[in-house]
Order: sequence, then C-alpha cells, then structure tokens
Amino acid sequence: MLKKLLFRNQDKKQLGIAAIGALLGMTFLITSAHFLYRINEFGEGSEVLGANILIVQRKVTSASTLNLSNNDFTAEEISEIQQQPFVEKVQAVKSNNFRVWLETNSDIVPPFKTDAFIQSIDKEFLDANASNWSWSPESKELPIIMPRDFVVMLNTFMSSSGIAQISDEVATSIPFKLRISGPKGEEWLNARIIGFTNEISALLVPMEFMNYANLKYGENQDGKITQVIIKGKEGQFGSLEKYLNEKGLEPKKAQMIVGRLKSIISMLIFIILVVSIVAVISSVLVLLQYMHLLLSQNRYEVKTLLRIGYSPYYIARLFVQYFSIVFAVSLIAAFGLFFILKWWINKTLQIGGIYLNEDLSVIAVIILPISFLLFVGIGTLSARKNVMQLFNK
Amino acid sequence: MKIVFDHIIPEPLKEYPHAADSLWNNKHVIENGQKVLINAASGKGKTTFTHLLAGLRHDFQGELSFNFVAIHNFSILDWLEIRQTKFSFVFQDLQLFPTLSSEENLLINTRLKGGMPIDKLKEWAAYLGIETKWNTPAGIMSMGQQQRLAILRALSQPFETIVMDEPFSHLDEHNTRLAISLIEERCKELSAGLILTTLDPTDKISVDKEIKL
Repeated sequence: MLKKLLFRNQDKKQLGIAAIGALLGMTFLITSAHFLYRINEFGEGSEVLGANILIVQRKVTSASTLNLSNNDFTAEEISEIQQQPFVEKVQAVKSNNFRVWLETNSDIVPPFKTDAFIQSIDKEFLDANASNWSWSPESKELPIIMPRDFVVMLNTFMSSSGIAQISDEVATSIPFKLRISGPKGEEWLNARIIGFTNEISALLVPMEFMNYANLKYGENQDGKITQVIIKGKEGQFGSLEKYLNEKGLEPKKAQMIVGRLKSIISMLIFIILVVSIVAVISSVLVLLQYMHLLLSQNRYEVKTLLRIGYSPYYIARLFVQYFSIVFAVSLIAAFGLFFILKWWINKTLQIGGIYLNEDLSVIAVIILPISFLLFVGIGTLSARKNVMQLFNK
Repeated sequence: MKIVFDHIIPEPLKEYPHAADSLWNNKHVIENGQKVLINAASGKGKTTFTHLLAGLRHDFQGELSFNFVAIHNFSILDWLEIRQTKFSFVFQDLQLFPTLSSEENLLINTRLKGGMPIDKLKEWAAYLGIETKWNTPAGIMSMGQQQRLAILRALSQPFETIVMDEPFSHLDEHNTRLAISLIEERCKELSAGLILTTLDPTDKISVDKEIKL
C-alpha cells in the first residue's frame, strides 16, 4: 500500500532513462576495469626473468653488417657498465659453441624436433619464483627456459597437425630430449621447461651446464660476447636507458615493443575507465536526483505518513529499496553486457595476436558489490536527509 | 498524558495581545484523561496549538512538557512513540491520502499501530454514514465525508489523548452528533483524554475544562 502511495504516480520514462544511463556506465566501468587488469598482467607471471632486466647488444649498423665494426663486448666495457650507479648487476650472456637439437619425448604431443641455440644467465637474473635453476653432471634433468615464441610455434605445429593447442602449464609438463654434439662426441640429456620469457630468443640453460658443455663439446672455449644482461636498480631505469643510448647500445626490440604496446593500450583503457567512472557517477546522480524528485512530488504523502507516526528512517528505506532494485537490475544487465563485450574484445585481440586471460577478473566481480553498496550508502544518506527535512513540518 | 503549558507563546503570536486567562503566556495543565475544549476565534492559534502537541513546530517561548518531560528533549523515537500511541490527531486539513480509498486510508494507519479489526472499522464507517465510500478514493469524497474518515482514522489507533482541530466544521448537526457519540465511546473504552479546538462553542460534547486562546 505504501509502495502504491509513493511510487505509483511517477514518470517512468525518466526512471528508464536514468536506469539505462546506469546500465551503460556500469557496463563500460566493469569492461574497462577488467581489461585494464588483464592488459597489465599480460606477460607477467609467465615471465621468468626478473624485474628491471634488459638484454642489450650493440646497435646493428651497415658497417657492422659488412664486418667493418666490432659488435662484441670486451671485459673492460662490461666492467664499466657494472660501475654505473644505476646498474645492480651485469653479466655476459654466454652462448653455445656446440650443436644443439631439441625434441619432444612424450606421448601427449606428436614428435617434434628442431635445431636450437642456447644461452645462459645466472639465477639472480631470474624471477624470485623460478626454482631449480641449477645443474650438475649428476642431475637427472636439465632445466630450460623457453622463448615464448617457441610455444606459439609449437601450437602452430599442433594446430596444423589437428591436435589441441597446449597452455603454458601443459608445456611445462612435457618431457624433452636435448642432444648436444661437437668434435669431441655427443650426449643426450632429459630436459624440462621451467618457464618462459619474452626477452630472449634462445633457449636458456643454467650457467653450470653451459660451462660444462662448452668445455666438453665446444669448438673453442672463449666465445664472443655479443649480448650482456643488465639488472637496473629500482626506479633508475631512465638513467640506464639514457646511458645505453649514449653508448650505442640497444635493448632487444621485442622488450621495447611489448612495453610500449602495453603502455599505450593501458593508457587508452585507463582513459576509458576514467570516462566510465564519470559516466557512472553521472548516471547514479541522475538516479538519485530522480529519487529526490519523487520525494518532492510525494512531499504531502511523506509529510502525512510522518505525522501519523511512520518512522522517517523507514520511509527513507522504502525509497532506497526501490531505487536499489532499479540499480541492481542495471548492474545485473551491465554484467551480462560486459560478458558479451568481453567475448567480443578478446576475439578481436586474438585476431591481432594478443591472447589475454579470458577468465573473469576479480576486479570485474568486486566492482559489482562495491558499486551497489556505495549506491545504497549514498542513497540512504540522501533519502534520510530529504525525509528528515519533512519530519517537523 | 499530563500536559503542561508553561508560559508558552508561539513566535507568530508574540506581537498580539492575549487575554489574562489565555493559554498563551500562562501556565495551564491538562491532566491525564481530561476532556478539554479549546474555544477561540480564527487567528488565535488553534492550529498552532495542535501542531505544538504534534511536535510539528518548535518556534515558541516557554516550556511545553508531556508527563514532566520538556518536549525540546524529545528524540525522533520519542516523537514516533507519541504519534503512534500517545496522541491521535484529527488535523484541520485532515491529512488524508487523496489517492487511497477509505479502506486504505484506515489500514495504512492501523497496520502501523495495530488495533482495530477491519470489521469494526466497517461498522464505524456505517455508523458515520460513509460505508458506501469504502472503496472510493478520499480525494473525490465530499469534505464532510473526508472529515468523518479522518475522525475514523484517529479513533482506529491506540491513544491516551485524542486531539481534534475543528473536526466538525463541515458536518451537519446530525452527523456531528453521531461523530461525538463515537468519539466519546472510544475515549471511554481507552480511558483516554480529549482535546477539541472549535470555533463553535455549541458543539455538543461534554468536557471537563474549557481553555481560551
């Protein structure tokens, strides 16, 4: 009866417009927050190299291509880099001086064999979570870190063979065989992937194995150093980049491209997020404004209810409940629309080669109750203030 | 409910002269269960008086207390209790809900406060001659019918004192007599007091005391 009294005579068109505003605002808010989260985590976690790490080489010029200039690093140059205040650690990236083949050794994937090029870095350049980064001649398995491109290549091969593609998790469970050979003989080793990297195009192995294999099977023991790995100090990446430019050194292009892409997409989505927040605030304000309008349209009824003994808190709650239901319906519809948008955006990104985690992000789920509680909180304060103004009238 | 007016003078009436025995600016006590007639001409503050008791205005000097507690100390909850169980009002402007039927106007009150079964309400409506308007929106009833509905609504709830501001102004003598008998019967049933403001001193209701404004 109270609902009939307070909500029957109203302009439903205006309510509908406010609800659609809330629906669209919330859809964009959930979608942009979800994708901002997913873009930021893209490549993280699956990257075994630690933070602030750059692999650098000399800039390739026409002269170097014609062998008129030297692209190697000398021990003095590495020492000079190490002495820079913004460098925590620098190390030569060691490469193999022997031949390497990698092949699958499992029933779950079809036989696959490829020549490989391996490099080694110390454990301290790896992410803290990367374990078992050591090897000795007694070890049963050789831990390897795969370039991410390898998984893409493997999946392309699987796809063309009509076999389901594999995830990172499955890839780490596949046993591999590594064959190494040189003038002094050959050896087969069991190998297992422990992680992936976007930074290096070669297979990474522990330094102990590289030293062992170069000594035992290498054609010459002192290989040329064409790349160094640098761990910059936290927050001083800009100084490091400037130094590298001055010295004619350049980070691996992929690192820069991925970083820039993530940065541009994140910025775009951040702008959409800000616009969405403004849209949500506006639509919530329109809904609350409509609640005020309804309260003032029903000023006489509310005043009379208060005079005959109805609690102002109860009457305010009736209004908040009514508009909370409208907002909740908008939220649920926005969540449904978000799922459609999420599917479409993921498909579009996949066409462009960007595979984001398609699972529902925590942030998309959290936004719902937070928005609802904020709406109920602000609505309650606002409705109570309005109703209380009529209490003594 | 014992009501004490201790030199009350509402702001709008400050500038006007008041009689020596006026309620305004004097001390008057209305005892629990007492029946009081407030008889005054227009503009003397009858509605202001009713609104003071309902807690609808606080712009006055002096002290008004219910059961020895000054009303300026009352919280919202205190006022809710007063409006739900201590006082029942028939306001001069009736304060009915025009879009609701007679039945709904009564039920919206009794559902909050408990009390009167619907059969009893129908019986009273028949007694006052508005049973045919049971499902009619109050807004399209005549003023006399609306006045009887407002009286019914006030009687339908529990109360210690019923306060009525010119409740019979649109009723003929016959309907006034019927309304008075119903009010007296209900007050007797609840051992409740009665405060009636009127322009017409000939309203046939027996009172214990008459106060001028």
